[in-house]
Amino acid sequence: MARYGMVIDLKRCVGCNACTVACKAENGTPPGIFFTKVLEQVAGQYPIVKKKYVPVLCNHCLNAPCVRVCPSGATHKREDGIVLVDYNKCIGCKACVVACPYKNRELMPEGKLKEGHFKGYLTPFEQVKYKKFQEGVVVKCTFCSERVDQGLEPSCVNTCPAEARVFGDLHDPESKVSRLIRQRGGIQPMSEANTDPSVYYIE
Amino acid sequence: MISQTVPMVGEEFVMGYRKQSVWSKWIALAFFFGKVGSGMFILAVLLNTPLIALAGLVIENVGKGGALLIHLGRPARFWRAMTRPQSSWISRTVWVMGIFTVIGLIYLVLPAGSPAWQIFKVLALVSAVVVAITDGFVMNDSPAIPLWNTPMLPFLFLFYSLLGGTSVFFFLVHGGWASITPLVDLETLETALIIINLIGVAIYLGSMVNATATARESLRLLIKGPYSGMFFGFVVAIGFILTLVLTLFLGASGGTLVVGLITLADLIGHFFIFYLLLMVGVYSPVLGKLTI
Ligand code: SF4
Ligand code: SF4
Ligand code: SF4
Repeated sequence: MARYGMVIDLKRCVGCNACTVACKAENGTPPGIFFTKVLEQVAGQYPIVKKKYVPVLCNHCLNAPCVRVCPSGATHKREDGIVLVDYNKCIGCKACVVACPYKNRELMPEGKLKEGHFKGYLTPFEQVKYKKFQEGVVVKCTFCSERVDQGLEPSCVNTCPAEARVFGDLHDPESKVSRLIRQRGGIQPMSEANTDPSVYYIE
Repeated sequence: MISQTVPMVGEEFVMGYRKQSVWSKWIALAFFFGKVGSGMFILAVLLNTPLIALAGLVIENVGKGGALLIHLGRPARFWRAMTRPQSSWISRTVWVMGIFTVIGLIYLVLPAGSPAWQIFKVLALVSAVVVAITDGFVMNDSPAIPLWNTPMLPFLFLFYSLLGGTSVFFFLVHGGWASITPLVDLETLETALIIINLIGVAIYLGSMVNATATARESLRLLIKGPYSGMFFGFVVAIGFILTLVLTLFLGASGGTLVVGLITLADLIGHFFIFYLLLMVGVYSPVLGKLTI
């Protein structure tokens, strides 16, 4: 069975946030809710300063604390490793938000789906996209599971102009993700949390 | 090597420490009612005051249960919280509350002194202690927040529960609303528990000094940052110093008003310590040790 994962090349990422926008377009998330974003990290003092862009998203951890703490079974893991939330089961206890070491989950607050980007007016796009969400539940990146099921790549990977994001099967030793991890020494984020993320970073 | 300082950030797209914000006043209230209710029940069972035991059960179910329901984004589906006791501490808490309520009610309706009553007395006590500590495991189960991820929390919950129960009991007995058969010196018990809790909080917070940088950031927010006023005002000054001074120097001899003040001060400190521990829960930066 495949285990889907992603490799993010920090040397290639230019911080354009095209992935952030592509994700919002694909998933139609309301204002203020991001399934992926690109964090800036600045180190040093003038004139020796280094800046790096670090794209982040749900790591679809193998040993996911969000799955463990969920009291309703709404957060679950598919056989291919993708961690999803069943909005019809979620009770909105937010235990998973607190348990995710990467803070990659967000609550869809009351009123969010009525407000839209234009405060009270929903565009036709928003009307269609918001249908799949519910208020009072927790949302997060799905690795674009609907696209993946059709043999496509997640939207952020498809959009990235620098090929900084690579998606594939971590269980296949010949996949591009496995080779990159092997050859360039892929590192899992916050490995000390023992979550075994399916997202790796290379530098 | 380039030096790096990690900032405290909000929702902006910048790497740094982030504060949790989804568990706040309602969870703090649920913890508060959970501990006071179970504490009252434990003392009431030990001191044979069934009415106060019933009050403890009501506080547990209405106070804690109500606060939890308000906290939920989808309260109508609350029953789903019972479906994952094999892995989720929240699920276990719901089960433990239900079991505690059933056992407590059976204990209260059985004829006092009967063999079945004796058995249910022990079961009721055990289940009340389990109720008091499970919330500690709920917090402790979050690997993301080092301040909470310590085995000391369940103990802190237990001793706060006993202190809360004793304070309310002290007030009720002194005001003449309850009488206790074995003559227990509630004033001495109250003083001892305040000191035990004070030491417990000091050890718990002290252990964060040598913990991870993220835990130290939580501690900084609590004692030097925006929450320091509430911490030193409500928790230290009112919750510990005022209660201790009033108990030691006036106590029961000061009259019902003083005892009421001790109880109120203790409950204020009690609520705020756990509210503040929730508010200063800080996540480590996303990449952890992987930094540039
Ligand atoms: S990154 Fe967070 S939300 Fe995603 S699987 Fe891991 S623990 Fe769960
Ligand atoms: S908020 Fe929903 S998905 Fe998260 S732990 Fe609670 S029930 Fe599960
Ligand atoms: S689209 Fe690619 S290059 Fe641009 S920010 Fe996202 S990962 Fe980096």
